[in-house]
Formats: sequence, structure tokens, C-alpha cells
Amino acid sequence: MNSTSLLVFDGLLLVSIVSLAWAALASIDARRSVILFMAFGLVLALAWARLRAPDVALAEAAIGAGLSGALLLAALHDHDRTAAGVGSSSTQNQTSAGLTTVIRWSVTLLCAALAVGLGWALVHVFDHPANDALARAVAENLDLSGVSNPVTAVLLNFRAYDTLLELAVLLTAVLGIFALGPARAGYQPAGLIFDGLTRWLVPVLILTAAYLLWVGAHAPGGAFQAGATLAAAGVVLRLAGRHQIGLPAARTLHIVLAAGVGMFLLVGFALLATGRAFLGYPPAWAGSLILLIETAAMLAIAATLVSAFVGGQPESVTIDNEE
Amino acid sequence: MTDVLIILVSLPLAGALLCLLLPRAATVVALITAVITALASGSLLYAVSTQGTLLYELGGWTAGLGIALRADGLSALLLVMVALVILATSFYASAYFSKSAARAHFWPLWLLLWTALNALLLSGDLFNLYVTLELLGLSAVALASLGGKIAAVQAALRYLLVGLLGSMLFLAGVSLIYAGYGSLDLAVLSRTVEPEPIAWLALSLMTAGLLLKTALFPLHFWLPPAHASAPAPVSAALSALVVKAAFYLVLRLWMDVFADVVTPAAADLLAALGATAVLWGSWRALRAQRLKVLAAYSTVAQLGYLFLFFPLLQALPPGPALDAATGGLIMLALSHGFAKAGLFLAIGVIQQRSGNDSIAELDGTAQRLPVTTFAIALAGVALIGLPPSGAFLGKWQLIAGSFATGQWLWIVVTVIGSLLAAAYTFRILGHAFGSQLYPSRAFAVAREEWPALILTATAAVVLGLAGASVWTLLEAGA
Amino acid sequence: MLTTQLLYALSGCVIVALGLRSALLHSSLLQRVLAINVMGSGVFMILLAVAYRGAEVAPDPVPHALVLTGIVVAVSATALALALARRLAAEQDDD
Repeated sequence: MNSTSLLVFDGLLLVSIVSLAWAALASIDARRSVILFMAFGLVLALAWARLRAPDVALAEAAIGAGLSGALLLAALHDHDRTAAGVGSSSTQNQTSAGLTTVIRWSVTLLCAALAVGLGWALVHVFDHPANDALARAVAENLDLSGVSNPVTAVLLNFRAYDTLLELAVLLTAVLGIFALGPARAGYQPAGLIFDGLTRWLVPVLILTAAYLLWVGAHAPGGAFQAGATLAAAGVVLRLAGRHQIGLPAARTLHIVLAAGVGMFLLVGFALLATGRAFLGYPPAWAGSLILLIETAAMLAIAATLVSAFVGGQPESVTIDNEE
Repeated sequence: MTDVLIILVSLPLAGALLCLLLPRAATVVALITAVITALASGSLLYAVSTQGTLLYELGGWTAGLGIALRADGLSALLLVMVALVILATSFYASAYFSKSAARAHFWPLWLLLWTALNALLLSGDLFNLYVTLELLGLSAVALASLGGKIAAVQAALRYLLVGLLGSMLFLAGVSLIYAGYGSLDLAVLSRTVEPEPIAWLALSLMTAGLLLKTALFPLHFWLPPAHASAPAPVSAALSALVVKAAFYLVLRLWMDVFADVVTPAAADLLAALGATAVLWGSWRALRAQRLKVLAAYSTVAQLGYLFLFFPLLQALPPGPALDAATGGLIMLALSHGFAKAGLFLAIGVIQQRSGNDSIAELDGTAQRLPVTTFAIALAGVALIGLPPSGAFLGKWQLIAGSFATGQWLWIVVTVIGSLLAAAYTFRILGHAFGSQLYPSRAFAVAREEWPALILTATAAVVLGLAGASVWTLLEAGA
Repeated sequence: MLTTQLLYALSGCVIVALGLRSALLHSSLLQRVLAINVMGSGVFMILLAVAYRGAEVAPDPVPHALVLTGIVVAVSATALALALARRLAAEQDDD
């Protein structure tokens, strides 16, 4: 593909992305906004692939478009039944029409100025690019990291502490969701065709998740993409009206949710006890330790995302009733 | 012994997991974790005072490739404040949450909040700071919405959206920095950042995001509802610690990483907003009908004082005067942290006894709850800035510094703000003293009243008397 | 010379501005959540554009890791926001 046609492709891709974003945000109908947002996410995944970021493209398609979309659609579904809701306007505002227009225009101008400022700064930067010391350091130390996929190396080795805290963020979100109330009521049992599809689809999703987890060490993939795929399996089961959505009961669910952070801490403390730095894997063991942590993380991510999808503490999970 | 840096983050995190897995023993596990972490914070302070700035490279990778944790005098002092406030509030919370369901939800989130605070104070990497900000925001929101009252949930939702917007602006700034300088490590950046457009824009974006999170006027609108509707121990942590963490980041970025980029005009802008916050916040506190709303607006005002220091810090050359001013700033921040936490806990005691926190109906509280009323008075001493409180030392430095650099306006603002603080403190105390002459008993409910008393006494007396050691610590850790 | 990098970076700026505008002009909760997500995607696009080094050289993996982390954090926050909204609606229904 010569550079002109590539430029045309880029241009079309970007125009569609910006248009989808604009349309999603400008739409008055909530359901249409969500659908457009999901489309935006999917085309964005294409853009990431174009920018040679396949790991990110997988994650964007699975999490950014797929699971976020599922969460938003489930939220819309609730609020169809209630008067107030996600799609209705906030109760404040309603100042005079003139003032509102002034505010709208000044905010629009401010954001436009921001875009221009950002753009100008970036043009300036690309003329004098920053050193790529970090990228070179990653490439040099890749052999010591235990994996050959540089993104996995950065995520699970060089900047593993970020990933540890990110898993803590996931845990915090799901605990906050649990504290707000019980899960939504389930769906009706699926008809024959959907049920048959589920029986076929869920095992495939589970196998795909396992594959993504395994392959993440040397090709695009990893714990997050695998976790999202597993979560998709759980969502499909839920939509098919299954009572058991693949989530374990009370105690076990808490263990699974805590497993991602827990495994990181266990490995970290163990390494600390043997005199190495926290999360400083010995190069010979690095690959296995990373796989161990990623497996626990995948399960935790999947459980978190499915719990978020059902919107609260699942029916089979109850905190101890006695005082 | 730099392992203590990572221990301070991983210990509360491990405690949170244990509380999640052992819900019936959660209170005990949490309190034990709190005590050990507080001791660890103390040992960090000692280590910094003897060895200077501490560095810990995670994973053994050099800072730059990996993430580094750093502790200097400033972060060590704030860490100890966080630890003591959370320890005291945890004891209060063990009595406050009587129902088992709320307890099981509270403790894991509470320890996750502490993890976020420690991780933020120790982080030496810009993107890691973004992740800690998100962790802090989500745990604070989840805690604020506990109890499920409609006002709390509404305020928590607004808090969440404002916080997310702030984080996103911060992340935009971080991406510009990476584009321009190719590194995320704070120490590396403080050497390589230059006054050029990309640095200005990045700092502006990051500051805008952080000002949203620290509730500086006019971006303070989300704070009073959120802090006033949350459960008492959560309000204490939110006002005393969470907004302080965002302020710490502004200070760190402006004085440390981007020191070459900051201009006097920019510092003056921050101070002007701070001055408005002092006056507006104190006025609204005076007009408040509920104790918690008063305390929340008082937080808005007190944070304004902290921003008044920026022109001084920018104008003074490195030397004894700058050290004195920085010490004053930290003293004011510490004093407010302890005082506000104690105040919210005291209000919580009153609220639980009387069912509401209306100021007009406080009649006779001094007789029924003398210790708690005394705690409120001590908190008032620290908020006004009377000697021997730490706030007195801090405001003294502010006035002295403004005098030296010829910026008279801040002196006027400080004086007016202190007068207004005196007004609203005496308004509370005036209502609290009813007609009965003598109190019936000294302690109504000892366990719940001790934490408030200890925290406010620290702010009003201990910090002031121990003030000199704070300055020596800052010099040692610099 | 409009390189791929610059093209994507500038588009990222536009998307950030679009998201910010929608987030500031109070609309419904859903639109604000979507707007913040869109803003995030714009920032991710800037980061990935910075990481891109052309068809021959491998891209810089650090921004890729940062964006991955960002995507997960964004979905966590979205999930919590939606749960809060659901609780709010349930409470308002009971009134």
C-alpha cells in the first residue's frame, strides 16, 4: 500500500471516528448515544491496530467497546422502567436562554482553544522529538524480563507496580458497587436458538481467554484481554437467562476478586523476603512468575467485570447474616 | 531499610484484602493493620530525619525504566499525619458502624483509601500518580456513598464525575510531558523540563485537574455536599486527607518538578483564587445551618490559605527564608488535617446523640457532652490560628513572608479569614452552652469521644509546641 | 509534512476537546459519562500517536502499557458511576 492510499485510509478512519464521537455526544436519545459510542469504540480499535498497537486494539474492542457498551446498555435497560434515570436531564440548570447560549459558546471556544493549544504544542514536539531512551531501555532489558512481548514486559515487569494499583482500582470499584445494593434481576431463560448458541459460544470464549493469556508472553494478548473475554462469557450466560452466571458463591467470589492484587502482593513479599526488591523477579523465574500473576489477574478481572455487569452483589452472594 | 517505603503501600492493601476475606473479623484486622502501618510511618519519619531523602526502585529497575518511590521531609510528615488521623478515625469508626453489613463494606474500602494516600505521597512517577489519583477518587466516592442516603449518593456521584474530569485533565498533561521529554520519572523531569510551550500547557492541564480535586475556588462546588452527607469518619478523611493529597501534588509539581516553568504571575493567580476561597468559604461557613456544612466550607477556606503561600515560595530565593515559609505551609496543612478530622468526629458524636447536626438545636451540648464540646473548641483554636496551635506558626510565617516580599494583600486576607473563623467557631460554642451550670459527667461515651479529643489537641497544642522539629525535619529531608 | 503521527495526534486533540465540551455543558448523566470516556480516548490517541514510529521501526511499548492501564481504569470508573446512578434512581423511585 503506497503512502497516498494509506493517507486516504487514515483520513477516512479519523473522519469516521470524530463523526461517531460527535454524534454519540450530540444525540438526544440515550440508546442511540450508547450504540454510537460502541461503534466509536470498535472503529477506535481499528485505529489502534493501524498504529501498530495490537494489544491495545484487543483491549479496546473487548473492554472499551464491548464491556463498557454492555454496562451502558444494562444501565439503560434499568432506567427504561423508572421515571428518573440515566437518560434524563439533570434537575439543575434552566437559567435564562440568553445566559445559557453565552455559556455554551464560551465553553465551546475554550475547548476549541484547548484543541488548538494542544495541537500546536504537539506540532512543536514532533519537530524536535524527545529522546527515545525509555523505548531503548525496554528493548535492552527485554531478555531479562522473562517475556518477549514488550508491552507485557512493561506491564508485568518494569511497571508492575502500576498494574498492581490498577487491579486495586478494579477491586475498589467492585466493592463500591457491592456496597450500593444487590444485583439486578436476571433475564428470562433463552429460547432454543440462543440457548444452543450459548452452549457453543461460552466454551469457545473460555478457550480463547486461555489462549490470549498464554500467548501474551510472546504476542499480543495478556491478562486484561483474557479477563475481558472470560467476562464476555459470563455476560452471555447472563443474557441467556442462566441463574449461575459462572460466578462462584460468596466466600469464593471474594477470594477470586482479591486474587489479582493478592497474587501480586504474595509474589512481591516473597521476593522481598528472599532479599530481592519488591516485584524484582529473578530472570530465570520471571516468565513463570508473570504467568502466575497474570492467571490470578485474569480471573479477578473477569469476576470484577461480570459483577459490574450485574450491577451489584449477585443473588447467591450474601454477607454473613448473623451479627 | 528503604523497604519501609513499599511496606507502607502494601501493608494497608494486604489489610484490605484480609478484611474482605474475613468479614466477621474485619474490625480487629483493620485496627491491627492501622497500628502497624502507623508505626511504619513513624519509622519512615525517623529514617528520613536521619538519612535524608529515601529512594526505592521497584522491581530493581532504575528509575525511568521502572517506577521509583521517594520520601523526603514533606512526604514523610504528611504520611505521618495521614497515619495518625486514620488511626484515630478507625477507632471512632469501629464504634460508629454498628451494623455488620455496613462494617463489612467499610473496612476494605477504608484501607484501600489509605493505600491510595500512601501510594500517592510516595510515588515518584507521573503516570503512577495518575493511577493513585484514580484509586483515591474511587475509594473516596465509594466510602462517601456508604449508607445509601439519597443526598449522599447524589453528592458522591457529582464528586465522582468531577474527580474523573480532573484525572482526565491530569492524564492529558502527563501525555504531553511524555511526548515532550520522553520520561515519566519526577526526578529526571525536574532536571530536564524547560520553560517552553509544551511544559506550560502540560502544567496548566495537570494543575487544572488537581485544582478540581483540591476544591480550590471556583472549582469547590462539589465539596460541601459530598463532605456534609458522608458518614462522619468518611467526612473526616475526605476533608483532612483526600483534598490535602491533591494539594500536595500541586505543591510538588510547582515547587519541585516544574520549578523552572512557574512564573510569578501564575503563582499570583493561584494565590488570588486562594484568597477568594478564604473569604467565600469562611463567609459561607458563618451562614451555615448545619455543623457538617460549616465544617465543609471551613475546609474550602483553610485550603485557600495554603495557596496563599505560592507567591512567597516562588519569590523567595533558596535559603533560610524559603525554608521558613515552606515549613509554615506544612505546619498549616498538618494543623488543618488534625483539626478538621477531629471536628468531624466530634460532630459525628453530636449527630449520633441528637439525631441531627443542626447548629440552632445545639442547646446544652456543652453540658451533655463536655469533652466533645472541648474538642470542638480546640479545633476552633487551630482553625482560627490562635497560639499555641500549629496554625498560629503557619499563619505567622505567611504574614512574615508576605511582609518581606511586599505582598500586603495576603496579610489582609489572612486577618479577615481568621476573624471570620473566630466568628463561626464562637457561633457554634455559643449555641453549645445551654442554661445548666455544671456538666453531669465528664465523658458521655468515652470510646467515641477520645479520637476527636486527641486529634484536636494535637492540632491545637502538640504541633505548636513541637514546631521546631518540623523545620529541622524539612531541612534534613530536603 | 503531515505525517501519520501528527495526523493521529491532532485528531486526538480534537476528540479531547469534543469530550471536554460535552462534559462541561451539563447534559444528562449518561452523556457526561460518555463524554469523559471520549475525552480519555482522545488522550489515548495522542499517546499512541507519540508511540508510533513508522512501519519499519517497532513502536514504543511504554505508551501502549499506559493506555491499557487507562482503559481498565476508565471502565472501572464508568461501572461505579452507573451503579451510583442506578441507586439514585431507585431511591428517587421510593419517594
